[in-house]
Amino acid sequence: MDNSGKEKEAIQLMADADKKVKTSGSFLGGMFGGPHKVEEACEMYCRAANMFKMAKNWNAAGNAFCQAARIHMQLQNKHDSATSFIDAGNAFKKSDPNEAIKCLNAAVDIYTDMGRFTIAAKHHITIAEIYESELVDIEKAIAHYEQAADYYKGEESNSSANKCLLKVGAYAAQLEQYAKAIEIYEQVGSSTMDNPLLKYSAKEYFFKASLCHFIVDELNAKLAVEKYEEMFPAFSDSRECKLLKKLLDAHEEQNCEAFTEAIKEFDSISRLDQWQTTMLLRIKKTIQGDEGDLK
Amino acid sequence: MSSDFEAYEQDFGTLTAEITNKIGRIPKLGGKEKTQLVLNVDKQLEEVRELMEQMDLEVREIPIQSRGMYQSRLKSYKGEMEKLEKDFKRSRIAYSDDVRNELLGEDAGSSESQRAHLLDNTEKLERSSRRLEAGYQIAVETEQVGQEILANLHSDREKIQRSRDRNHPEPSPGLRPRRHHPPHHHSGHLFQCARALISPNALTHTHSVSHTHTHKTRTRMINSDKSVCSGVIRTNGAHESLFLGPDRGLSL
Repeated sequence: MDNSGKEKEAIQLMADADKKVKTSGSFLGGMFGGPHKVEEACEMYCRAANMFKMAKNWNAAGNAFCQAARIHMQLQNKHDSATSFIDAGNAFKKSDPNEAIKCLNAAVDIYTDMGRFTIAAKHHITIAEIYESELVDIEKAIAHYEQAADYYKGEESNSSANKCLLKVGAYAAQLEQYAKAIEIYEQVGSSTMDNPLLKYSAKEYFFKASLCHFIVDELNAKLAVEKYEEMFPAFSDSRECKLLKKLLDAHEEQNCEAFTEAIKEFDSISRLDQWQTTMLLRIKKTIQGDEGDLK
Repeated sequence: MSSDFEAYEQDFGTLTAEITNKIGRIPKLGGKEKTQLVLNVDKQLEEVRELMEQMDLEVREIPIQSRGMYQSRLKSYKGEMEKLEKDFKRSRIAYSDDVRNELLGEDAGSSESQRAHLLDNTEKLERSSRRLEAGYQIAVETEQVGQEILANLHSDREKIQRSRDRNHPEPSPGLRPRRHHPPHHHSGHLFQCARALISPNALTHTHSVSHTHTHKTRTRMINSDKSVCSGVIRTNGAHESLFLGPDRGLSL
């Protein structure tokens, strides 16, 4: 596989395709089978893009796909246009996240226009992931996840909707938008607790909701835990619930050591993940903060 | 009279002290010395018994009023004597610690071995507890993995249902269910897979899920379309309903 050779070939193809498009635009071209030429040009763009991909020249590949997509739009092939935009987005993902997002957004618009919400939601998730990882713009990521969740809900894909909502909740809590996070976790928890496939995850959601309550106010947390126990009896048997009760007691007595002790015990059996650790640390700071006030 | 009694008491006291002493020594000795000592103790015990009898006679001659105290003393002496006899018997057959030590080749080592034994036990207990803890951790991890798998299954199920509904919408109620025309067949196979997903043993049926074809397959339809519908709806509890009822026509 001579990739550099491919690249040259690809550049050649691009040039040819450009020419074709230009010529088809002119009056003469329009007379003599203009549309065919445009379609041919479109196909040439696609082939060129694939060759760029082989040569790992992502930028060029992305550009080529974008060109192809625009031509498809001209030809009113919405499906093909959208697919080309997606290909462009994938190519740009590896080099230029911003461009990728632009392409993906364009594709999503086309899909929502056509009414294909499921696939639009899927690509919203992709965009949100790019924001999450490469551009680290949590607010925009949340916005896209929320949009995806709404579309999934509209299409009655509750599982996928829940997946997106959970991400929204996690990030919202990180950004200290606790009310939103609490609402999301409670909603997801109550919808999953009846489902025989999903009920084993429900306790985790209630645990997260309680943690958010806890950060806001200890009394809230107590009431919340009681409410969840009532709603979902299996919750009271779980280790998470026992941990919560211990933490509540420790917090009431402002006993920092008991707090740490309880957490360590829980951690020794099943490690706490990043999100939970952050939340618990915030709660712990409130204890220490109170001690500081007394001094 | 009472002075006699007191004289007897003193004799009794000295004799019993000697006997106790000798009894203590008997197990440690062996052979000739032992037999000699045993004979000695025997003789002394005889003397003690005679003393007891005489004390008894003395007590009987005392007037009844003051007899009580002497009688109680007499009783206690009798008890002591019996105890001495028992000890004597035991000592003759008892092994002394020295003999045992000689046999087993340790001296102060016996207490050491006990300590080592105890430490060993403690260590075994600790090892067992550690293994139990590890087992518990693995169980918890397994549960978490299980949760994720179930969530994935659920979302896959929804996707399959959606695609099935979109591609092979439910035939209108006018059609007789027994006719085997292609859409039925396709749906049949998909129904089987979807049904498998709905059942609580979803985990065991994942392999059938991955093979959702849409070409003609000869699946054995369970009775009629309707019974499958109702069966599915029954087992399908809280989930979105797979089929629309016969009253509503085609959807999608």
